[in-house]
Amino acid sequence: MRRAAALASRSAAPAVLADGRALSGVMLRRLFIGQCLVLALHLAWMPAWLAAVAALVAGYRYLQLRRRLPRAGVVLRLAGVGLLVAALWLQYGSLGNMEGLIGLLLGVYLLKLLETHTRRDARVVVLIGMVTTTAAFLHDQGIPMAVGALAAVAWLVQSLVWLAGARRPRQAWRETAWLLGLSAPLMVLLFLAFPRLGPLWNLPQAQRAATGLTDEIAPGDIARLSRSDRRAFRVRFEGDEPAPSERYWRVYTLSHFDGERWRRAEPERLAATLGRPVGNFVGEGGRSPWRGAGKARFSAELLLEPDNRPWRPALGEPLASDERLRWLADGTVEGLAPLASRSLLRLESSGLAPAHPDPAGPGWHTLLPAEGNPRTRALVERLWREAGGEPRAFLADAMARFGEAPFRYTLAPPRLTSGDRVDEFLFESRAGYCTHYASAMAVMARAAGVPARIVAGFLGGERHPDGYFTVRDYDAHAWVEVWLDGAWQRLDPTAVIAPERIERGAQAVSEGAEAFLADAPFSPLRLREVGWVNHLRLDWERLEYRWQRGVVGYQRQARDDLMAQVARRLHALWEWLVGLVPGHGPVAGALGLLSIGGAAAGLAALLRLGWRRRHEGRDEALRIRRLQAWLERRGLGARAGESPAGHLRRVAAAAGSAGPALRDCAHQLERLHYAPLREDERQARRRQLGRRVVEVRRRLGRLPRR
Amino acid sequence: MAIAPGTPLPQRRLFLLPTRFGLVWAVLVLVLLLFGINYQNSLAYGLAFWLFALAVIALLRTWRNLLGVIATLRLPPEVFAGGEARLGVVFSGGRPRSGLEVHVEGAAARLDLPEGQGEASLALPAPRRGVQRLPLLRLESSWPLGLVRALAWLESRESLLVYPRPLDDDAPRHRHAGAGLEASDFAGLRRAEPGDSPARLAWKQWSRTGELAAKAFSVPPRQQLWLDYDACRGDPERRLSILCARVLAHHLAGDRYGLRLPGVTLPQGEGSRQRREALEALARFDPAATARREAP
Repeated sequence: MRRAAALASRSAAPAVLADGRALSGVMLRRLFIGQCLVLALHLAWMPAWLAAVAALVAGYRYLQLRRRLPRAGVVLRLAGVGLLVAALWLQYGSLGNMEGLIGLLLGVYLLKLLETHTRRDARVVVLIGMVTTTAAFLHDQGIPMAVGALAAVAWLVQSLVWLAGARRPRQAWRETAWLLGLSAPLMVLLFLAFPRLGPLWNLPQAQRAATGLTDEIAPGDIARLSRSDRRAFRVRFEGDEPAPSERYWRVYTLSHFDGERWRRAEPERLAATLGRPVGNFVGEGGRSPWRGAGKARFSAELLLEPDNRPWRPALGEPLASDERLRWLADGTVEGLAPLASRSLLRLESSGLAPAHPDPAGPGWHTLLPAEGNPRTRALVERLWREAGGEPRAFLADAMARFGEAPFRYTLAPPRLTSGDRVDEFLFESRAGYCTHYASAMAVMARAAGVPARIVAGFLGGERHPDGYFTVRDYDAHAWVEVWLDGAWQRLDPTAVIAPERIERGAQAVSEGAEAFLADAPFSPLRLREVGWVNHLRLDWERLEYRWQRGVVGYQRQARDDLMAQVARRLHALWEWLVGLVPGHGPVAGALGLLSIGGAAAGLAALLRLGWRRRHEGRDEALRIRRLQAWLERRGLGARAGESPAGHLRRVAAAAGSAGPALRDCAHQLERLHYAPLREDERQARRRQLGRRVVEVRRRLGRLPRR
Repeated sequence: MAIAPGTPLPQRRLFLLPTRFGLVWAVLVLVLLLFGINYQNSLAYGLAFWLFALAVIALLRTWRNLLGVIATLRLPPEVFAGGEARLGVVFSGGRPRSGLEVHVEGAAARLDLPEGQGEASLALPAPRRGVQRLPLLRLESSWPLGLVRALAWLESRESLLVYPRPLDDDAPRHRHAGAGLEASDFAGLRRAEPGDSPARLAWKQWSRTGELAAKAFSVPPRQQLWLDYDACRGDPERRLSILCARVLAHHLAGDRYGLRLPGVTLPQGEGSRQRREALEALARFDPAATARREAP
């Protein structure tokens, strides 16, 4: 009990000691808690030793306040900063990158507590805390981060209220709640209406981990397959949605094969290799510069996750977008810069493989190492003969082979180690996943002289009840495109060996969830089969999607759309007003506006009056004070030291017809103040008093105001 | 500029000034906004706007915190020169208010009005005897965030009467007279009242008559004397100081005394009224005027 009381009194201690300068220990504790909250926002991305820094600094201050240690001198503080810089240097190799800078900011914020002695210092600490909170938004802008930041900011504001002189926790929290609550609508308004500008100058960007998608595949390297449930992107379609077997998201084409691995040929490298200008292979702009592009079938709004590469997925061949992109000649598209944060992109696409030839030419797309994989070559020769030199029949035969018994689809295939990997796969192991089959198929096509390339991208995506799709890392897929009859044709050998992979997604393949989530031991997706958990997961994802799309993705386009909509609404309202008032033109509109404003003002005045009445009805002292003020304005004010009742009685003598009413007011007031009354009597007397006050005002109302 | 005590602080007498912290806050908002623009970061935009909105709301709440406050002054009952005048500033605000500050040259006080009422006490220095005008009081509040300061000035027409600094020249001579006298002469019985000391109750009477009575005692006759300005030595201020000390001593002793100053005579009397009148006469006495009067 006593302990609780002592605690309560300690937590209620003011921020500043009695000398008016030094901070109290309780205030330092509040600042420290604020630091912990801000640090918690960063910890998932920053090294954990920063927490140790916070604990060390707080421990030092604690001991120092207990008078066991001297104040931190210049040497100690400089040493602290030096150690911090050295540790960050060791961690990141330089301080110029984003993580290093954030670490520096956090470290300075934590170390600042060492030299926080006065109210001014404490305010500086709070301000640095605000900046550090903002820096946390560089890591992530999801809902958990926003909620955490809200808690941190509320705590920091509360610290400021303490510094401004709050005495009790209730008072401090109440004021904080008022401040935050009242400022929130203004914040929302500013957020919606403030014009969005492009970046004014370049700043260091945070490094992002790459998604499971690679621009290089080497069938046989088992570790290359990402099986995490990390989200790659989300997409919503305006108009048609693709059927499951049409959800082939093209990202990269891999056209360079060295016998072991397939690599992407970037436009620059391709141009250098083939000795042609880069402009032949890539064009910048808002729509695809390549001739013979198909017609737009799907219009997708993509919500992309940050990644350290600028890839953009497209369903089939990308055709047009709302922002400037790099359109590659192989029918893929790239952003001008990697994404540091989630962002929205609108993209129209054909849904089919590109119909225009690749400027690299058929020669480039039939290139194979001069030697190697002899058994495959022999097989190709035999099949080609059997097909009678007809590419279509040849490809069909080759594909059909994969559907036969010895081939199986597995996410954990044996390693391929020999120099002739395609031979090893086709004739020995016969087990693999999409890249094995795609690679084998592309090699066979090229060996027969049919231009072929591998496409890396995603297949599928989970359709959310709200109508958007989530594509995850484990949806990564590879397939083949061959040039046939004047267009690229999609050829997916996986569809032959594991058709369920195409129709129902990666999780449908025979090994089930265990294998495809091997890299995500705690994923909620493991509980996909449990009804209510899945429900919760879907609800959370819906909320998250809306947040990302509506709040985080509220950039220039969204803002302009909203403003245009508001302008339309206002215009419609104006038209309605003009139509409402007889007559025409702006005068009538202005008249209507005026009358509405007048009505609103009248309503507000009525409400105010009612509120006042209600208030007075419960508080006779207030009613009498107002009556006294009213009398004073008429030159009948109270004298110094006169009681309210005495004042009314004195005025009554000179008030003529209002005299009895005034005397009764005084009487009722005294009864209410001093007599032991039951609640109903009290109410009756209050009502009586109210009537009397009205009577006084009526009878005295003719006196001139002074 | 200034308002008089006892009137609600009106809008046009209330001034708002940003504090240094407020200016730094503005810079912070700008930095966060640039952060949001350069990183295209919506949450950074949001926080920047929220901090801006907080400043706007804090401005309004600071203004509202001081608006309509009624400050009245409670003058200290007595002030002696060289001491301090504890000036009471009584606030009534109608609604709860926090962090009100009163500043005056050399003193400051701070208070909250959780119930809408409260009193702060200011220690004004009172270096000299005489009528002292009340200084200009500055009402101030930077509640709730310290970003903005609301200011108002309060000017009172009342003035403070500062008594001379009491100076005992030869204290023992005056103190023995009547000092420490107890009412000791038995003067009869009176009806006992609640609160009478049990030692003073007439228990014997009670056992005999059954009526509780208390013994009444009378105070022995006191000294009757005059305190004379001309009888003191030294410069006028010193004489007044000595007289002041004597007035206090004789009052404590319960003596009857009168005061003779050049041009002013206070007839003999006793009690706190006499004490107040004597001290006021000493405080208002103007030696220069007396000298002028005697000169011709």
